[in-house]
Amino acid sequence: MPKKVLTYGFFPGCAYATAAGYRESVDAVNRRLGIDLVELADWNCCGATSAFSLNQDDALILTGRLFALAEAQGHAQIVTVCNACYTTLRKAAQMLEQGSPDLARVNAGLAREGLRLGRLLPVRHYLEILYADVPAEAWSAARPEYIGRIKVAAYYGCQLTRPWADLDHAERPALLDRFFRRLGFQAVEHSARTICCGASHALPYEKECRPMLRRIVEEARRRGAHLISTLCPLCQFNLDSLQTPPDAPPIPVPYFSQLAGLALGIPPQRLGFGKLLIPAESAIAKVV
Amino acid sequence: MDDGDPNEMIDQRLAHEFLQSPKGAKLLHCIQCGTCSGSCPLAESMDHAPRELFALLRDGEVQAVLASNTPWYCVSCYQCMVRCPQEIPVTDIMYALKQMAAERGLAPAGHKLPDLYRAFSREIEAHGRVSEALIMARYGARHPIDMLGKARLGLKLLARRRLELIPRNISNRTNLTLNANRPQCRKKF
Repeated sequence: MPKKVLTYGFFPGCAYATAAGYRESVDAVNRRLGIDLVELADWNCCGATSAFSLNQDDALILTGRLFALAEAQGHAQIVTVCNACYTTLRKAAQMLEQGSPDLARVNAGLAREGLRLGRLLPVRHYLEILYADVPAEAWSAARPEYIGRIKVAAYYGCQLTRPWADLDHAERPALLDRFFRRLGFQAVEHSARTICCGASHALPYEKECRPMLRRIVEEARRRGAHLISTLCPLCQFNLDSLQTPPDAPPIPVPYFSQLAGLALGIPPQRLGFGKLLIPAESAIAKVV
Repeated sequence: MDDGDPNEMIDQRLAHEFLQSPKGAKLLHCIQCGTCSGSCPLAESMDHAPRELFALLRDGEVQAVLASNTPWYCVSCYQCMVRCPQEIPVTDIMYALKQMAAERGLAPAGHKLPDLYRAFSREIEAHGRVSEALIMARYGARHPIDMLGKARLGLKLLARRRLELIPRNISNRTNLTLNANRPQCRKKF
């Protein structure tokens, strides 16, 4: 196990606190691997798609404040665990580059609490930390033997790889698949990796969004996946709460960090598996 | 001012304004190939799929565009935007149209996303951070039927300690807004 501590500025985002076992599993994995995610003090909501839909100035001050806080608190990078936070921050970073007309207005707003937007820190997803910064050998040291029998459909959701991302191909990403293979799982080939889950539209327009969710779940089923694994709280919530297939049992939807924990030999009860709506224990027990 | 049809004049003024804006100007490169409509997961629910919406915009039918439900059905998956062969920032144009409609009180009354976004923004204004449960409480006050359907799910989440019912306040909430005349804009829709 690497004992060198990896330290990052951490923007958890609003959905993280109530997400199904995300925090529990990220904490457990971090403890095991020596990763220190230092939560930004006094962080605010990034505004997600909502703020940009109503008022661009508000959207930019929300995101600008986060960059300014991270810099003022001495961080070198901002790590997120949510696709929407990731995309929103990266999009805002481009809009707030030096010389942009928005930058001066945002700084005037931030000055009211003594903040100033200087350098825009790099924004990374936690997946990149686990894949790129943690040595590959760390994942095989305590791996239980059953891991290799579990088939996982890696589900990226839409925003992670879209315009402002630099971590993978916009429509045919492979990073999460490669990560699962490194953990020892079988990552199944499938065509629903970046199909949108419906995001916040799934609440007011559930009927309209169900075909999108069905396509993801049925594709995973057709490929023989025991689990669908995600890295975004909204994707996880929609896939976990809206699976009601008429003729087949639902497929559990754990976070990728929960699977990372299993591969490290951490027991499921310490990875928040009990918080999933679709229990994963029986699907895992089948192959154990 | 000449004595033309006032609606047409408003359209012309808005079309001019939009197509002159940095994002709007890019629409002049649209070749009407329909890649955006074909990529859109919710195109079937829209009054006009994106390609058609852009044709209307270029024809100057801005009021029809702003009153349509199309931008509000945009779920921000950015699929159209990464595929557009003309590199038109389709999703960002949808955002610009939503902002324009919201500012002018023209957002379609029959669509539920303006209410959801407003509930979200009010939570940010009130606390600096949002909790799904509290957004739902605000939104549910206007759309109780949607919430009734979620009662069982709510209980399951409660049993798993996944409902956050007490807001988490940040220290400097008053600084989270730039736009001084916004309350007035908000009232209109």
